[in-house]
Amino acid sequence: MNIREASVALAKRSGRAMIVAGGTMVHGLAARGLLGNIKTLIDLQNLGLSYVKSDPKGFRIGAMTTFDEVLNYKPVSKDIAYGALIDAVNLPPAQIRNMATLGGSVCSSTPFFDVPIALMALDADVRAKTSRRQRLIPLNRFFISSFETALKAGEIATEVILRKFPSRTASSLLKLETNANDLAILNVGTRITLDKQSRCIESRIVVGGGVGPVPVNSPSAERKLRRRVLDEDTISEASEATLEDVDPVSDFRGSADYRRAMCKVMTKRALKKALARVRGGM
Amino acid sequence: MALMTLRVNGEARDVSVQPHHSLLRVLREELGLLGSKRGCDTGGCGCCSVLVDDKVVYSCMVLAMSCVKKKITTVEGLQVNGALDPLQEAFVRAGAIQCGYCIPGFIMASKDLMRRRRFPSEKEIAQSIAGNLCRCTGYQKIIEAIEMAVSNSNGAG
Repeated sequence: MNIREASVALAKRSGRAMIVAGGTMVHGLAARGLLGNIKTLIDLQNLGLSYVKSDPKGFRIGAMTTFDEVLNYKPVSKDIAYGALIDAVNLPPAQIRNMATLGGSVCSSTPFFDVPIALMALDADVRAKTSRRQRLIPLNRFFISSFETALKAGEIATEVILRKFPSRTASSLLKLETNANDLAILNVGTRITLDKQSRCIESRIVVGGGVGPVPVNSPSAERKLRRRVLDEDTISEASEATLEDVDPVSDFRGSADYRRAMCKVMTKRALKKALARVRGGM
Repeated sequence: MALMTLRVNGEARDVSVQPHHSLLRVLREELGLLGSKRGCDTGGCGCCSVLVDDKVVYSCMVLAMSCVKKKITTVEGLQVNGALDPLQEAFVRAGAIQCGYCIPGFIMASKDLMRRRRFPSEKEIAQSIAGNLCRCTGYQKIIEAIEMAVSNSNGAG
């Protein structure tokens, strides 16, 4: 099987077939009776989609690349610009890191996952292919709702594209959780680039987990950072400003009020973590 | 149902499975290998840990069909001609086993660590078993057992 054939098989069974990447979600869905009308599973493991490639614009990471393989690819894992992604792939235990894939994590479109938040903070793109054409989808337009992505019938996400960032860029991801096995109550991804005077010239703040069906970007927080030195007051103002863009929900993991309070705290901590990285490496 | 051949503990085994059946289910119910335990069945407790191509995974979350042509190792496959694996030996000697239910999972996770790191630090040992729960021992004896196995294997090499 190749990608073209997988795409045709998927398109032909629209709504009745599902792509399997690492497979860690399929059993969970089956156990909860959520496989619905799915009768066919299409496994992509032999299509050559496990790779990390460096090119002048950045890195291309094959959709079937596991978290552990990302972690072991030094040009990415030692670069503080991609710190958010490394934080995210480091969260689960070895048993998950050896199986879960970047493409699977993104295409599950679960706002409680950590890797998609990190990749959104990195302005990553997804390459989607069918048997006839391909296109690039920016991640902030990729997530439509829980379990729903911008992929059309027959489209397969083949790789995640990371761009290169200017020097003095760092990113971070923090997860707030009830225990190590649970999904996030809230998670925050940040990316900052500082100029020579240590003013913030570019930033991205993304909040996920219980703040809606898809991760939320916070332009209000980013505006507060713009052209400012990231001292305590600036970071506090930006963290406070996330609440202009984020509208948390209440569920069994936490109330909306708790999430609002924690959104400020976690954004502040995540920004400080990124800042510490610009100042002193990983 | 689909017929497939799985390579488990060095033997080719023919099994018939549904596409969504987990590797754990096939190991226990088709092949009678009961060392890997069904705990949470959702990838949290680690009792079902096995090696696939020498890497530790939760067998409850891996689809059996995804393991065709791969090398599957369960705790039953560790002993050689009746002699326990150094890790198994160390778990017994360190008194790391109480009720024992979680132990195959811990041993498989430690096996993966010892493949990756010849001289793991205590922190690395603790991190390597982060995906395994034990409700009896409080982990200290388990960590001591892994340290014992590491130093024994380095002493022998």
